[in-house]
Amino acid sequence: MLGREGIAGLVCLVLSLGLLALTRDLPQSSMVPVGPGFYPRIVLVLMAALSVMLLVSDVLAGRRGRPAPPPARARLNYGLVAATFGVFVVYVFLLPALGFRIATFLFVAVLQAVLEPPRGWRRWVLVLVVAVLTSWVTHLVFEHYLSVLLPRGRWTGM
Amino acid sequence: MGVYEHLFASIVGIMHLKYLVPLFLGTLAGVIGGALPGITITMTIIMVLPFTFGLDPLQGLAAMTGVYVGGSAGGSITASLIGIPGTPSAVATTFDGFPMTRKGEPGRAIWIGVWAAFLGGLLGGIFLIASTGPLASIALEFGPWEYFSLFVFALSMVAGLVGTSLVKGLLSGAIGLVITVIGSDPIMGVPRLTMGSDFLRGGFPFLPVLIGIFAFAQLMSDIEKMRRGEPGAASSQPTPTLSTSQLKVLWEILSMPFVLVWSTLIGILIGVLPAIGGSAANIMAYDQAKKFSRHPEKFGTGIAEGIIASEASNNANVAGSLVTIMAFGIPGDAVTAVMLGAMTIHGIQPGPLFISQHPAIAYGIYAAYMVSLVLMVLIIAAGSRLWMRVISVPKSILIPAVLVLCVVGAYALSNIMDDVYTLLLFGIVGYAMVKFTIPLAPLILGLILGDQIEVNLIRAIATDPNPWLFITHPISGGLLAASVASVIMALWQHHRAKQRGITVDEEEADF
Repeated sequence: MLGREGIAGLVCLVLSLGLLALTRDLPQSSMVPVGPGFYPRIVLVLMAALSVMLLVSDVLAGRRGRPAPPPARARLNYGLVAATFGVFVVYVFLLPALGFRIATFLFVAVLQAVLEPPRGWRRWVLVLVVAVLTSWVTHLVFEHYLSVLLPRGRWTGM
Repeated sequence: MGVYEHLFASIVGIMHLKYLVPLFLGTLAGVIGGALPGITITMTIIMVLPFTFGLDPLQGLAAMTGVYVGGSAGGSITASLIGIPGTPSAVATTFDGFPMTRKGEPGRAIWIGVWAAFLGGLLGGIFLIASTGPLASIALEFGPWEYFSLFVFALSMVAGLVGTSLVKGLLSGAIGLVITVIGSDPIMGVPRLTMGSDFLRGGFPFLPVLIGIFAFAQLMSDIEKMRRGEPGAASSQPTPTLSTSQLKVLWEILSMPFVLVWSTLIGILIGVLPAIGGSAANIMAYDQAKKFSRHPEKFGTGIAEGIIASEASNNANVAGSLVTIMAFGIPGDAVTAVMLGAMTIHGIQPGPLFISQHPAIAYGIYAAYMVSLVLMVLIIAAGSRLWMRVISVPKSILIPAVLVLCVVGAYALSNIMDDVYTLLLFGIVGYAMVKFTIPLAPLILGLILGDQIEVNLIRAIATDPNPWLFITHPISGGLLAASVASVIMALWQHHRAKQRGITVDEEEADF
């Protein structure tokens, strides 16, 4: 059974070999002695070799008996991490559709509620005020004072 | 005009409101970001980055220099008041700062930290100004062989210095190099490894990758430790009084010149080394101060030496990092990596020609650094009653706002959503790397140096295909020998640490 390092080594090995296969299609150059595939092949072979070393060292460590992970690991809140990633992915894909102001308001409000579910109406008011302010102030500062254009919504036009 | 006349003229220039306002706001943001537990200086500079896009280059770099200086000192406020380092560069400040606060002297603890940061920063600044020009002139003599070897040396040293596994450090650096080969090749413009995708054709832009990797590695590592319904920061502590005699504190620091100067030198040296920053400097300086002390047993009980060592070193480290980026174009840490990205957006290439080609900006950065030290002291003094409230802002409010600024930072680079998708992709990569205990710093350095390594390698081969020239050119050969030595040294150190049974929690973002 592979440990974390072994899995990392395996993923990196597969990636580097896959990319190495793609370098075969690269053309040779007549202007310089080495073509566009020369350097990528060097770094990909290096990455593959290091991945193999990581994989092998993990397999050998597994045979010797891996030390038990520290007990604190079990208490990590991966559900909250997954929820945050989920809300962020939805935000990123809704940005071009809803526009910066609406998407940001929704994102900030929802993520606050996910990270610390509001108890009582005062907390809900705070969540909404923070969401409105973040969306409005960022838009105001960037569009009006720093000449940075933020995404416009395809569906909303704003 | 000499160096110091240039500097004086630049200090006068930076005092114009046009530059002073961004410098002040940057320093303020730095102090607040540094003081907030869980928000590192890297995170703060990532948040400030989009605000600098619409400014002229020196305004933007002044704001970033302010963040760097303010953040290095701001971390000590939280470290001394609540015993939690505001940034990793203030970890050692907690060892004596917090015990001093518990003994009823929070004002003394804070101000010893602030003045030590000021004095360490000032000495570091003198080194910065005096050494950048001569180091850049040495680098000007370099040909493609020497540059290639210098970048390889930087990468091998970083891979060996971070984390507890040399293989993982080198693998991280290799991943960084691989990311740079995706997209058009820098010599002929041939698309490489793009699989016909338009998204990959332009390659991955550096800043969205960096923001994604660092922001998500840090924020997600914080979120996984949060419990639902718990506020992310202390909120009900009484506000202590921070008043103390400034002259007495200054005299106390100056009466220990050895600790101050030695810690400053350690800070500068660590800063000059690529990609390791204040987080290593403060621990090393604290350790050294303890070793050289006549009363090492008192360290950790709330003595001034401990705070001075930590704070002088982490602010001097800022100057050291600026030297490396300005003389060689190699970032000293993640913060200077963002500054490098900001410079390239404005068409400025840091490196040996930087000072001669852009003297106004180079001296402007020196001036901004010096002035921001003074601003940092004034800001901490003016806000002394507010700091306890500032550091208790809940993470559930901070994290969404930080993520919004990350998105704006990525989007505003070229006003395209592709950069936001890159941010998301590398956010996942960054968090995965933390979980697989692969250090982040070598990847970032590989990402920054990848194109330069390739261009110099091809240039060297195009000039003369003889590969032995990399070894027979004395500087290039020396640098390659130093790369091999640093790898062997790292192997030996890791082996020794394993034998002594030293284990480190690797599952932390390394910045």
